Amino acid sequence: MDNGDGKVRIGFYVCHCGTNIAGTVDVASVAKYAAGLPGVAVSRDYKYMCSDPGQDLIGEDIREHGLNRIVVAACSPCLHEATFRTATARAGLNPFFCHLVNIREHASWVHSDRAAATAKVYDLIRAACGRVRHHKALERKRVNVRPEVLVVGGGIAGIQAALTVAESGKKVYLVEREPTIGGHMAMFDKTFPTLDCAACILTPKMSQVKAHPNITLWTYSEVAAVEGFVGNFKVKVRRKPRYVNEEACVGCMECVDACIYKEPKFEDEFNQRLGKRKPVYMSFPQATPKVVQIDPETCLHFKTGKCKQPCIASCSRNAFDFNQEERFEDIDVGAIIVATGFKPFDPARSPKYGYGHFPNVYTSLEVERLVNSAGPTGGEVVMRDGRKPKSVGIVHCVGSRNLQTNRWCSKVCCMYSLKLAHLIKEHTHAEVYNFYIDMRTPGKGYEEFYNQLLEEGVHFIRGKVAEVTDWAMTPEEEGKLVMRVEDTLAGFVRRIPVDMVVLAVGLEPQADAQGVRRMFNISCSSEGFFLERHPKLAPVDTATDGVYLAGACQGPKDIPDSVAQAGAAAAQAMALIDKGYIEMEPNAAFIDSEECSGCKSCIPLCPYTAISFDEVTVKATINEALCKGCGTCVAACPSGSIKQNLFEDVEIFSEIEEVLANA
Amino acid sequence: MGFTVRQTIKYEAETDPGFAPLIKEKRGCEKLEACIQCGTCSGVCPLSIYMDHTPRQVILLTRSGFRDEVLKSNTIWLCASCYECTVSCPKDIKITDIIYSLKQEAIRARAYPRGFPIPVLAKEFYKMVRGFGRTTESFLVVKLLLKTNILAGLKMWKLGLQLVKSGRFGFVPESIKNRGQLQQILERVGEGNGTNGGPKK
Repeated sequence: MDNGDGKVRIGFYVCHCGTNIAGTVDVASVAKYAAGLPGVAVSRDYKYMCSDPGQDLIGEDIREHGLNRIVVAACSPCLHEATFRTATARAGLNPFFCHLVNIREHASWVHSDRAAATAKVYDLIRAACGRVRHHKALERKRVNVRPEVLVVGGGIAGIQAALTVAESGKKVYLVEREPTIGGHMAMFDKTFPTLDCAACILTPKMSQVKAHPNITLWTYSEVAAVEGFVGNFKVKVRRKPRYVNEEACVGCMECVDACIYKEPKFEDEFNQRLGKRKPVYMSFPQATPKVVQIDPETCLHFKTGKCKQPCIASCSRNAFDFNQEERFEDIDVGAIIVATGFKPFDPARSPKYGYGHFPNVYTSLEVERLVNSAGPTGGEVVMRDGRKPKSVGIVHCVGSRNLQTNRWCSKVCCMYSLKLAHLIKEHTHAEVYNFYIDMRTPGKGYEEFYNQLLEEGVHFIRGKVAEVTDWAMTPEEEGKLVMRVEDTLAGFVRRIPVDMVVLAVGLEPQADAQGVRRMFNISCSSEGFFLERHPKLAPVDTATDGVYLAGACQGPKDIPDSVAQAGAAAAQAMALIDKGYIEMEPNAAFIDSEECSGCKSCIPLCPYTAISFDEVTVKATINEALCKGCGTCVAACPSGSIKQNLFEDVEIFSEIEEVLANA
Repeated sequence: MGFTVRQTIKYEAETDPGFAPLIKEKRGCEKLEACIQCGTCSGVCPLSIYMDHTPRQVILLTRSGFRDEVLKSNTIWLCASCYECTVSCPKDIKITDIIYSLKQEAIRARAYPRGFPIPVLAKEFYKMVRGFGRTTESFLVVKLLLKTNILAGLKMWKLGLQLVKSGRFGFVPESIKNRGQLQQILERVGEGNGTNGGPKK
């Protein structure tokens, strides 16, 4: 649209933003100044440019005055660039002829001197009018989006996300590292604050996952590689051998009974090593898929090759396959939901609590297994020495809120400590002491649960336990673990002898979170949890389009929060795949292949792995769908053959020349 | 027999709003306000069981501007500088350093009981080191006893005699060479005010 005369006709608009801009910048004089700039055909100031009448103003002027460039001096492009580009497009002008100048965050909000701020705005709009004349009409490209979704991690968050997406009719791949889905929630006995049985509410969902026609469940599997981009990810999944054919096994457990080892002999990881299992085992009775597997580290056949293999003989379905090998599945998906969960803090890192030194010091997860009727003690709270505790001390904030270990509050420990206090009291009638720094019970029904615990006679002592020792100073302390703590509300130091100590360990990122982060090309916060795109307004998105977060991999979260976030992640993924395509911002870099020398220096620099090397043409090529327009390659290219839409040299140089024109 | 009834209410007017900023400025006390009042310091302190305010309370009172309560507390004098609190603090607060600064303030304000020997010892010890670069224990002990409790000193005459005999107490003041250089060093590091002195202009 150049009115046939090829002349640039700029429409200039300066926004008051109420008093946000007009309070510090003399907008009337800015409009007047702009009117005198070369090419400016229309110049106006308006109270709220983003309002409907403000946007209409642009459209009317385009039609009436034949404008072919628009400059809006207002707020940050993050907020309203799309608004004004859309308004421009509505009037029939290519939206990329519209340019936004940020005079709010860059001028009015950061300056107090009205005259100086106004002068700065003069410079900024002169630069904008200088560059906008070189703008080109650009087109947004469409890329198709595949309808399948990959969910990584089969804890409660992954399960919820997978079920939600599957219910909408989309195909889901659910990949879980462990032999069964269920995650940490499957280890819990009850859930706070309602004391629902964890298994009762979780296992139906696990069965649903297994039975759902739209879900492909791969347990004992890991994502090995991810390539591609939003809508078109290529994922390689490593399926570890379990030496049992999953399709054939029905989980009858005949083989476990038949195993050459008559008694369970090996540490049971699922039971936090408090119980024993055989080399052929199932993690827990409701494991999903309900199939056994063989641990080659402990199986006699794998260790010596001399086992009679009674397991094979006992199996009526011929499910064993001792020759199984690691294999890989390649899948194409449109969106990925990362729900890889958390790792409990290892209390050996806080030696003053005596974990690993005193056998009767437990982690909270170990106690979850002790109070669980499917656990190693059948739900009896008995200690490693076989006694039932008469007094129990629960230490909050183990590993959390501490600069020496993890500085964050793990959010769930206060509530699960209350739950464990209740369950221990219920099982043993022991005196239970909770040692807390601050009691954090925000949540529906949470404070009420705290009140319930107070009324049940659980002791609450506000103070961080300084040390756990077995050094008795009084006869009552003989044979006990003594917890030394300042009762900060009473204002003096106390020594409290107990039989059993429970460490409410905090939540921290998975040990391999950094590797997972790199594989999915997402970021981590300084704590190491995966980083959401915006802490408030994009809590399940990541910096990589098409990759979403759910559950405690993003930060410590309880079950209700994980489930809610999983639903949100599923909705975001569905919003992407259901549309079927995405439009790419045209500010991508492109290669002038005439000039490209094929030096490859751009390829390792690209943070989005958007550049590849074409062996046939011996030139670099940029995948527009992956390019985020960061400009790194443009700056690095030694031959200057990489250019970027909206940031071409002529645009940037004219902007610089104009901004410096009065300097 | 009976209860002593007194008001325990504290009015804002009784606080010194400048006290916390004053302490915070001192070396090692920067993180005074990071305290979450968890009580780890008191729990690990081997002497907190004798203190009128636990170390945690001293931090709280300091932060809240209760200058008199802090400076008159026996806590700051009972502290044996074992640094267990500093090592254990989950917020990396150098509690021992804060207590040192409070001791300095208490000495400056003469907020300790008459004849209380620890601040006098600290002061005399410092004066002697500043002047000579070394201490001479005989002189130090005599000075301390003269300024606090002469009677108690006289009662220890036998011990003193033995120390003299065994050569532990000398009568010649000990000194380093180039005392002026030591004084220059001390001036440079911002002697006395506890703040980061830096080079003098």
